[in-house]
Amino acid sequence: MSAAHLLGLVEAAEAIARREITAVELLEASLARLDAVNPTLNVEIWRDAEGARAAAEAADTALANGAALGRLHGVPLAHKDMYYQAGKPATCGSAIRRDFVPDYTATVIDRLNAAGAYSFAGLNMAEFAQNPTGHNKAFGDCHNPWNTPYITGGSSSGSGAAVAACVTAGSLGSDTGGSIRLPASACGVTGVKPTQTRVSRYGVMPLSFSADNVGPLARSARDCARMLAIIAGHDSRDPTSAREPVPDYESALNGDLRGQRIGVPTNAFTVGADAPVLAAMEAALQVLEARGARIIRLKLPLMDAINAYNAVVARVEAAAIHAEWMRSQPQSYAQHLSGRIYPGFAIPGPYYVEALARRGPLLRAFCREVFAKVDLLATPTIPTCLPTLAETDIDHGPPGTERRFLAVSVNTRPFNYLGLPASSQPCGFDPHGLPIGLQLAARPFAEARLLRVADGLQRDTDWHLARAEV
Amino acid sequence: MSFLADTEAMIATWHGIAAPNDTARRLTADLAETIAAFEAVRGSLRFEDEPSSFEAALQACKE
Repeated sequence: MSAAHLLGLVEAAEAIARREITAVELLEASLARLDAVNPTLNVEIWRDAEGARAAAEAADTALANGAALGRLHGVPLAHKDMYYQAGKPATCGSAIRRDFVPDYTATVIDRLNAAGAYSFAGLNMAEFAQNPTGHNKAFGDCHNPWNTPYITGGSSSGSGAAVAACVTAGSLGSDTGGSIRLPASACGVTGVKPTQTRVSRYGVMPLSFSADNVGPLARSARDCARMLAIIAGHDSRDPTSAREPVPDYESALNGDLRGQRIGVPTNAFTVGADAPVLAAMEAALQVLEARGARIIRLKLPLMDAINAYNAVVARVEAAAIHAEWMRSQPQSYAQHLSGRIYPGFAIPGPYYVEALARRGPLLRAFCREVFAKVDLLATPTIPTCLPTLAETDIDHGPPGTERRFLAVSVNTRPFNYLGLPASSQPCGFDPHGLPIGLQLAARPFAEARLLRVADGLQRDTDWHLARAEV
Repeated sequence: MSFLADTEAMIATWHGIAAPNDTARRLTADLAETIAAFEAVRGSLRFEDEPSSFEAALQACKE
């Protein structure tokens, strides 16, 4: 097997453009890598090797003919299996949609394709993107490349594991309560949940109209910057997408962190966190400080209200989306999923409306108080050392297992309610050899700042360069 | 009736859906925590009684 699969996203695009490697060679390396690791990790739901080979050959022909090249020309990608591509499966990780083949294509896929990329596989995910662990009844659980009995994080489990295992250099995930950041953290890769409305959701399986986001997972902040720049921006087919101009995220990655004020919460996010996680976060903060950032400890306001309201919105919206299937075929869901959807039907309408009505005012109040003092927040992405799949298996575990299961996403969910951009990047390893993630969050549309700080961290550390032996 | 039984009956009446498993019942019982969380913030927030737009707030709060 060639080592082409080890190339990062930007490296791969540049290597193809410089004719150091062909698109076909890169694709074959990716397919071979998928063959090698899938029996262990279970990241694949489907693949389209024939279609991908045709796309790779076309990319090589275009290059030979001197065609203008997109920013991902010839790069093969694999995504969480919930992005609609006309004529290809989109199982959404579920038995219910096992045979679903959409007849239209998601805007984010169109944009990646227009940049020269193409898809070669649909990746495993939590059923209907609704768990933080990577359990999947329909297609089997996804396994962490660093230590296979442990969770990958979810719901973009296959994306996190496949990027970490170098099956693909980049992957689209979705994030409603942490589903990009959690697998990024657990699998030791970088992931970005953009500002709510930053990226089109047209052609993307819905989970929560108010909190769903599309974003990249890749092996570096620079690679995420490249993907995000391609997929972000207004889409007339998604009227909820923002008209905010898209900056050149890569040009923001200059390593200069002087004057960046990084806030570390003292009353939330770190309370009750495991010692190895806190030690890893502090080590990362020291690196950022050495680059010129200022670390400021602060108490966050309004967290009780944010957590109270956040607990309502996604549950009610998921209940509404799944109501028909919950009536007609509840047995088709995994127990942990139908069990979580069901209580959403009992939440009163006035609670839901109150939670949505307070969202804007709470965001304004939070930003006014917090971002007057700091430019970013830094927290552990997951506050505890990673649990195993068995320890969080609601369907087969003892009563109470759901507490451990839900605790995985306690630090990521608040930023979905607030709609703030947030990222996760590697900052160390726990005693079981599993990655630890540092979560950064910033003001709306401040993805460039997030990526600059993440890139600054990665210039001085090698946590993101470590590779799992699969 | 208990909170859980009341809630199951309400869901069946309003939505035609029965609790699919014990996990659903346990998590439904946990809705008491949701109620308590709402009660805890009741009266603690003072916002103007004007129409609010989350999208407008995102714009207003950006860098």
